[in-house]
Amino acid sequence: MSCEEDGPSEQGPNSVGPCTSSSSETDAKSGDVITVTIGATVPTGFEHTAAEEVKEKIGVEARISKDRGRIYFPITTDKLFQVHLLRSVDNLFVVVEEYDHYQFKQSKEETLMELQQLASKLPWTNALEVWKLNGTLKKKKGHRKGGSTTKVKPNRNTADVAAADTEQQLHQVVSAAESHLEVDSAADAEPCEQDSQEAAPEARVIKFRVTCNRAGDKHSFSSNEAARDFGGAVQEFFQWKADMTKFDIEVLLNIHNEEMVIGIALTEESLHRRNISHFGPTTLRSTLCYGMLRLCKPQASDVILDPMCGTGAIPLEGAIEFSSSFYIAGDNNDMAVNRTVNNICHIQKRRADKGRISGLPIDTVQWDLCSLPIRTSSVDIIITDMPFGKRMGSKKKNWDLYPLCLREMARVCRPGSGKAVLLTQDKKCFAKAISRMGGLWRKLHTVWVNVGGLHAGVYLLKRTGAVFGQTPEDVHESRGMCNTQGDEKEDKELS
Amino acid sequence: MKLLTHNMLTSHVKGVTKGYPLLIKATEVKVNEVEFNPQFVSRMIPKLEWGALVQAAEELGHRQDLPGELVQDYEKNEDFLKKVHRVLLEVEVIEGCLQCPESGREFPISKGIPNMLLNEDEV
Repeated sequence: MSCEEDGPSEQGPNSVGPCTSSSSETDAKSGDVITVTIGATVPTGFEHTAAEEVKEKIGVEARISKDRGRIYFPITTDKLFQVHLLRSVDNLFVVVEEYDHYQFKQSKEETLMELQQLASKLPWTNALEVWKLNGTLKKKKGHRKGGSTTKVKPNRNTADVAAADTEQQLHQVVSAAESHLEVDSAADAEPCEQDSQEAAPEARVIKFRVTCNRAGDKHSFSSNEAARDFGGAVQEFFQWKADMTKFDIEVLLNIHNEEMVIGIALTEESLHRRNISHFGPTTLRSTLCYGMLRLCKPQASDVILDPMCGTGAIPLEGAIEFSSSFYIAGDNNDMAVNRTVNNICHIQKRRADKGRISGLPIDTVQWDLCSLPIRTSSVDIIITDMPFGKRMGSKKKNWDLYPLCLREMARVCRPGSGKAVLLTQDKKCFAKAISRMGGLWRKLHTVWVNVGGLHAGVYLLKRTGAVFGQTPEDVHESRGMCNTQGDEKEDKELS
Repeated sequence: MKLLTHNMLTSHVKGVTKGYPLLIKATEVKVNEVEFNPQFVSRMIPKLEWGALVQAAEELGHRQDLPGELVQDYEKNEDFLKKVHRVLLEVEVIEGCLQCPESGREFPISKGIPNMLLNEDEV
């Protein structure tokens, strides 16, 4: 979905001219292409993966805020739609201002007073332009049948005024934004959050809220206090209305020690649950699934197995984003396989509604992971979220489960070229299990992530060249396994 | 269940040594369009058990004119690749069962999902 493909009237009050970049940040005349900094929150641990994706899809270098799950990158407004193609980001915002070494005052009163004063001095114009532009992009995204029902009508009056003064420009942007919202409530046929009996267009005021995240031990104030006071000043300056739940604009105030970033949110709800309509107890967010998939670099015709798929989040993300591979999602649980199939159908239907070829390269099987009904050495990549023992299974069960899993996964995985990407919170158990599998698996890399508040590891493993059934590890008996003689014979038949 | 998946599935009933390929008995089959990617198909072919694929397509009545042996230089033959694409990814068994060729044990397929779980005594 490209800005260039659509007619000028769908882009906002003004048509965006030819994409010559006028990268001066002070020039905020509506219609010019401007450069802004976009911030994105990503699953902690996958900042590099996200930066890679930005480089690949947008072509710019991203800055990483190490271990804090945030990356920053520049973008020109004519390419803004590209940020919505990113699969590794949870939330997006446009930066209003960044301070690397903000000197907070000693006392709480002084600090808060300063924050209040800051509100009127910040360079809001460009960020608000981007917020407005983003609003029109999202409207187009939401419509499945050609996007003709909700065109943002040009409001020529405000657009034509060439403002020299910043404040005038600002109000111009704001009132253009208001007119964009007018058209929303008038023409929008879909059920929306706003009350349909809301005030007549002319009386429509922008609603906003401020969200503050604060980290650091030298601050004299709390995030609530900062949000409250900063928000109060913002309200005063713009004459917007504060509303915690039904807001049009979300202003972000992120403070980490001496770093402070003020931004405007570009995503309403986190993008991380985009594929899943049928949730299970431990469904992984899609951005995390995407990060794991990127880690193993799926190639064309790779056969990719998720032997404990749950609701199918990982293979489904793969089938959509890395669609030149083939995914087999499997689980032993009835509900899990049913949910997986439902999630797949949901996505296929959504694609069909958009007029796209709906079929995805993915299949679902019900199986026991310790005894996979899969030919030996036929799988290229195994990618899965292993039971954590806290929300699913138990630590004691993991003790037995992990070695059996790893062994069976080694059997089906192609020697020499095969890989595995395994997410687990039970790091001790996993480390022990893998240490006894040196003949079959080699650890390449580990990414430390945060999953629902739990500290977990994503392990990238390489399948050694050793043929299964011949290394010391897999000759060893364990409870519940078929006898090794039978295994070896079967393996030779099938390989 | 797509035939590409079937090509990889094998019976793991205890004691069975010739559990591949599983026989298909289908009561409902659907054809769903999937985007054609010639590179995917040509690279997948060497990973397949070709005989098993043809046999499975035959069992479903969707073999059409797929050859019993692989043609030479199939990588460049787009017509051939399209036929293989269809059989691998577009033909799906929705209801039916898979049967172990040695033990006769049947694994049901319901809503497109084969249930390969074994009972306690079969493991």
